[in-house]
Amino acid sequence: MAVDPTAPSPGKPAALEPSFGLGEGVIEGQAGVGPYQLAMRRLRRNKTALAFGAMFVIIVLMCLCAPLYAKHVAHTTPSANHITDTVKVRGETKDVVSVGGIPIGPTWTSHFLLGADSNGRDVAVRLLYGGRNSLEIGFIATFISCLLATVIALTAGYYRGVLDGVLSRTMDLIWAYPVILLGIALGTALAVGGLNFGLFTINGTSLWIPAIIIGVVYVPYMAKPLRGQVLSLREKEFVEAARSQGAGNLRIMSREILPNIASSIIVFIPLMIANAILLEAALSFLGAGVQPPNPSWGTMIGDGIRLIPSAMHLTLIPGGMLVLAVLGINVFGDGVRDALDPRAQVRMEH
Amino acid sequence: MRKLRKVLLLGSAVGIAAVGLAACGGGGGGGGGTQGGTATVVIGTAPDYLDPQEEYTTQGAEADWISYTPLVTYKHENAPTGNDVIPGLATALPTISADGKTYTMTLRKGLVFSDGTPIKASDFACTAERMIKVNWGGKSFFTDNVSGATAFDKGQSDHITGITTDDATGKITIQLDKPYGAFTNVLAFPELGLVPCGTPEHTLTTDMPPSSGPYMLTDIVPNKSYSVVKNPKWAALNVPDIPVGHLDRIDVTIESNTQTEAQKVLNNQADNFDAGDTLPPSIVPQVRSQASDRFEAVTIPSTFYFFMNVTLPPFNNELARQAVNVAIDRPALQRLASGFLEPGCFFLPEGIPGHPTSDCPYGPADGHGDIAKAQQLVQQSGTAGQSITVWGEQRAPRTQYVEYYADLLNKIGYKATPKLISDTTYFPTIGNAKTMPQTGFADWIQDFPNPVDFYLLLATSSIQPVNNENFGNVSDPFIDQQIAKLEPTPSAKLDSVASQWQAVDEYTAKKAYVVVYGSEQVPKFFSDRIDFDSAVVHPTYLNDWSTWQLK
Repeated sequence: MAVDPTAPSPGKPAALEPSFGLGEGVIEGQAGVGPYQLAMRRLRRNKTALAFGAMFVIIVLMCLCAPLYAKHVAHTTPSANHITDTVKVRGETKDVVSVGGIPIGPTWTSHFLLGADSNGRDVAVRLLYGGRNSLEIGFIATFISCLLATVIALTAGYYRGVLDGVLSRTMDLIWAYPVILLGIALGTALAVGGLNFGLFTINGTSLWIPAIIIGVVYVPYMAKPLRGQVLSLREKEFVEAARSQGAGNLRIMSREILPNIASSIIVFIPLMIANAILLEAALSFLGAGVQPPNPSWGTMIGDGIRLIPSAMHLTLIPGGMLVLAVLGINVFGDGVRDALDPRAQVRMEH
Repeated sequence: MRKLRKVLLLGSAVGIAAVGLAACGGGGGGGGGTQGGTATVVIGTAPDYLDPQEEYTTQGAEADWISYTPLVTYKHENAPTGNDVIPGLATALPTISADGKTYTMTLRKGLVFSDGTPIKASDFACTAERMIKVNWGGKSFFTDNVSGATAFDKGQSDHITGITTDDATGKITIQLDKPYGAFTNVLAFPELGLVPCGTPEHTLTTDMPPSSGPYMLTDIVPNKSYSVVKNPKWAALNVPDIPVGHLDRIDVTIESNTQTEAQKVLNNQADNFDAGDTLPPSIVPQVRSQASDRFEAVTIPSTFYFFMNVTLPPFNNELARQAVNVAIDRPALQRLASGFLEPGCFFLPEGIPGHPTSDCPYGPADGHGDIAKAQQLVQQSGTAGQSITVWGEQRAPRTQYVEYYADLLNKIGYKATPKLISDTTYFPTIGNAKTMPQTGFADWIQDFPNPVDFYLLLATSSIQPVNNENFGNVSDPFIDQQIAKLEPTPSAKLDSVASQWQAVDEYTAKKAYVVVYGSEQVPKFFSDRIDFDSAVVHPTYLNDWSTWQLK
């Protein structure tokens, strides 16, 4: 059997396959350097992407430190109400929430650093805990999306036929439904009864509920482009070669095709995280995402919206944090994409 | 039975106690102030219906109450006298038979509708039948009590056999299946405001039947605007104690953004912010400072409380229920309501006969609660550490109330988690026996000023598999006995049993069946053009447009 010398070797990414970008390394003529090493070099040269990536990491680290801040600095918890308490600000005693219901703004002291919400809860503490929840959901949802999308793309693209038809139409069905509406419908329904898998049940207030919803609704956005790549890869000579050597379907999918779509998956991850965080915020804002008493940036914005003219900090602070986090991961994600996929074939579509 | 006046609020509520206002009252449109002119009202929530037999919200009642007069009605005054039932189109309050089952009234002579058609006794029967035919949401108040009304509702008879009328004498007799003391209040519902026989028995949206009150509805653009103008025939009828009205016309516009609604009144671009709407918390400080002479928070007879399911742990333990009552910080809840809550601890609110004047059993109503004592009680009860799901609505400030309550339960030793669901499905969900809620938010705004209207919420007979309104499944033989004993007392004689109702209410508070935290307040907010002092906010129907006059 004739083997195309430009075909990717079995079990390795398509280093010589120009259509997936990693072949750019060969074009640059740096023989002996792996495609991922080349991508890392490109990423290191992209200072903007690295700066925004660092900003995202700092936000993640701050959020991870939420319990320390709450216990040792703010001396409260994210759900502790202090409605009728008072706080000393520059020698002056002030109500945490006024008799008319307006919460105190940023004090720039350890207590209520960024102000309080209408229930007299410390906004800074809730911001950090909310960030933990938002990021946790973003990461879990992305993991679920990636896992399901990869399995579906490999199965549909490799086997084709009826299986491909069923899976692809299912993906079309989910794709055709507006993401927010689908998320609200699922979130509202599951918030009351939770999710019952038979062996185990997820409580309606669990963070897993929005994470699973977001993970599922974003599967088509990743599965469809990946399936296209699998359809193309399954016709390549190295797959033929593996098959002729007696490799089974599962082995071909896992050892030959999967490594060649890995770069696309990696490109997708930061973009998916950003989108998942945004969708979580939207769902929580609408009451269909994170359920009280858990805070999230979306619920914080939702809680503050009715007090915008008199307590703008309630929406501006979580809103600003959301923008910074999503901006950070998005710009970094673009950098990763430019490094791994210079021809920018992978895009998040809505 | 269902709650009649569901005040549709768009957000949070208001503060400050109501003070007595000079009532317009009387039969005159005379007296001081300007006669005539036009006022504009902006309302945030459109009336559910303007059809006089079908409306079921305060927004609808505000327009219909002054356009269609029942046989008996309420004084056009502020609380507490606004709760007094007075003759409307009848010559006097009903004569009630010794067995409490026969109500007899006589229609005033010479009454006419706004189109000049004479008002006849038989119009009352037609009105009651129309109310049932158009399927008014509160029709069970009538069909559950009047003989033959249920059969008529089911199509088993052509007329309500329990109503007999004589057009020649104007005599109207209503036969009940069993004595029901609050039936005079039922007769005062605006949905029994008279319309002529022959009025179509389907929902009317733009062309309303001729009026039988001081004003008449006109220029209706559904969900957008409508107006009321003076009924030219009313003044000549000389119906005592029902005002003829001062203004010639009131134009009502639906403005779904309450911020804009409030801003327009603040800037004198509109004359009234509807009392059924909620002032956005963000604008309250501005209104209080810039319009202090034309703004007031008026307490309406209502009870806001957290129910506790006495059939489930931990609240099947009286000490656990007492602990919550000891810990509650009502001023905190008042702040969550942007000040629009009058703290209270008794189930019967102020203004309802029987409202206790004694001290709250578990600490003052305006106290901040005693967490340490509550923790001790929880420990004593042996329920510490138990998990509690706290049910609530996704609607401000009710969401905030529930989040506060859950935090309070955690502070006194439980593991509480709020469960917030859409306000449209909340009450059907917690009223379903399958849900079996442990505790959560509840409220009640009076259908009519009678203690029985509140105590049905704690009666064993109210525990139902669906649409249960006794959310805590309270089943106390003493309360049931007292309801059975006091329910037949006619509305006009409620004062004679007020002390007995008070004893029941004090008993309820002591048993800590519920955690009452206060009564809602509504905004009385006008432009500079309107005479603020003479304008009445009625305890049941809120703004009484017939009392408004220009300065």
